[in-house]
Amino acid sequence: MIPCIESGIPGFDELTRSDSGTGGIPENSSTLIYGPSKTGKSIFNYQFTYQGLSHEEQCLYITTDQSLKQLEGNMFDFQIPIEKYIADKTLYVIDTTSDISQGMQTKTETIVSSHINNPTDIMVKVGSGVKYICKNNQRFRSVLDSTTTLLAYNDSMMILRVLKAYLMRVNEAGGTPIITYTENSADSMIETMLKSMVDNIIKLDGKTLTVEAMKSIGKRSSKYQITKQGIIL
Amino acid sequence: MKKTHIPKLDDFIGGGIPEGSSILFCAVPGVECEAFGYQILNGIIEDGHKGFIFTNVSEPNDIIYEFSQYGWNLEEYLEEEKAFFVDGSSNFIGVPPNGKYSINELSQIEGIVLKAIDDVSNGVGVINNLSTLIDYLEEDKIIEILDKWNKRAKANNTILVYIFTKWGYEQKLIDTIKNSVDSVVSLTSIEERVIIGQGFMVTSASWTRPQNNMVLFFVLQPGGVKIYIPKILVTGPYNAGKSSFVKSISKKSVSVERMALEKFPTTIAMDIGHVDHNGFVADIFGTPGQERFDLMLNVLSKEAVGAFIIVDSSAPQTFARAKEMINKTHAKAIPKIIVANKQDMPGALSPEQIREAMKLDKDIPIIPTTITENIGVEEALDALLKLLYGDTK
Repeated sequence: MIPCIESGIPGFDELTRSDSGTGGIPENSSTLIYGPSKTGKSIFNYQFTYQGLSHEEQCLYITTDQSLKQLEGNMFDFQIPIEKYIADKTLYVIDTTSDISQGMQTKTETIVSSHINNPTDIMVKVGSGVKYICKNNQRFRSVLDSTTTLLAYNDSMMILRVLKAYLMRVNEAGGTPIITYTENSADSMIETMLKSMVDNIIKLDGKTLTVEAMKSIGKRSSKYQITKQGIIL
Repeated sequence: MKKTHIPKLDDFIGGGIPEGSSILFCAVPGVECEAFGYQILNGIIEDGHKGFIFTNVSEPNDIIYEFSQYGWNLEEYLEEEKAFFVDGSSNFIGVPPNGKYSINELSQIEGIVLKAIDDVSNGVGVINNLSTLIDYLEEDKIIEILDKWNKRAKANNTILVYIFTKWGYEQKLIDTIKNSVDSVVSLTSIEERVIIGQGFMVTSASWTRPQNNMVLFFVLQPGGVKIYIPKILVTGPYNAGKSSFVKSISKKSVSVERMALEKFPTTIAMDIGHVDHNGFVADIFGTPGQERFDLMLNVLSKEAVGAFIIVDSSAPQTFARAKEMINKTHAKAIPKIIVANKQDMPGALSPEQIREAMKLDKDIPIIPTTITENIGVEEALDALLKLLYGDTK
């Protein structure tokens, strides 16, 4: 039996339920969520993050296309309040969008900044983030939203190497990482390599959520809607 | 010869870097490496020379801010024209460039950096980041460019500092890059699930035979690169031989002990020793074994990077206590060696029997020893060093 963690989307956990009765995201495996833009990839992450945080699981969140302020606002739109988790330091954010020379709005032990085209620094911050989180808990979630921005600002082969190092770092520490990618934003070879790097692949096309690959279950899909409560299958 | 201003590094490379030489900081992903370049630049400018930073990873303003976080005033150096930027970042992410030179397209990098090297003769240039360059340019091309830059630097007495992150490149490429510079400093991590420590070690220097000691460091804001003496923990049940172990691996040791049952000494506070073995130095902290002193375990084990767990091989009834002490000292989360002491006693269990009895992971080395006879002690020390530093030594 493969232990799974709840995704935060009840319908998804139901869809992925295996014969042994567990459903959700296989714990300590890596997941790619991809699809065209505006299909709910980030929303999936919000729900995944909140599910962990509200059950005392810490989360490492690397945001490359929205600042922490925007992230807070966007999550709030789906009735996900994260201030509490920022304040009690269970949510660890690496923000690569805010202009650090202008001074970060909030810079604390668990809110750190990095730079979109400095993968070396991003990995240093990931390393200390993972170390910080593991002090308290071996089980944690990690979100990288989105690889699309990283690929846009850097050489794609380098980003593939960086992602590999990132997934390995989180997996080794016992975490469950999700990365997102906007379909067709890089060439098809990069897309194929991205898919070969992860254990689970989930596609969102605006209407249908398809689990293209996941340990112990075959391909499955379901219609979905985006409501005020987030993704509903 | 110019000082690098990185603590310990100057001692290892014969006092500093000769003018015109190149030095590569080669880091495992996740290990802090940029601070090394910035600290060298800051120090050399403070000593009255000029310097430049080529950046393709952050905009100049962000680097100025980084410097200020370290407590160094790059802005002043820029105003006084002691320092300047070659901005290879801004144009590529669509913000206005800021620097004496800025790069619009990749083909300009080679020539503009050559100009920059000319501008700071007898000074220093920092290239951050070489790995990012490799992915943008052809591999053969990058080696060619490095050679040209290094030659020009030699002619101008300019020191070149390269920052390089070892993403998953082919070993051959990494070797070629290492061979094209005068000196290589490897930056590695000590890991047990997560990075628990960072270390540097000089792996080559063309001008001297470098001391190949591993030094642990952390990066402070403010402050920059600081080195620290690692702490090794020695723990285990009562009367397993912890104090004897600390004594036998240390040059000097102190023990706070008193006579137990008026027959033999037992540790009531701690043992402290200092190891100096094959260029590796560490402070050794031994814990008491008796349960009534458990309140001290937390304090003694703080920030340890490795641990020896001493067990009495002839007393399996104490193994549960040994496991409890591993938990209480947080030794689960750091590299550790089980020292199977008292192998000379009748009924002593073999390492494999101990592994089974204690249900230990197969990755944890168990070294058979008789500490009083000094048998196996050095093997135990070597085994921990190998776990900590891998095969870099």
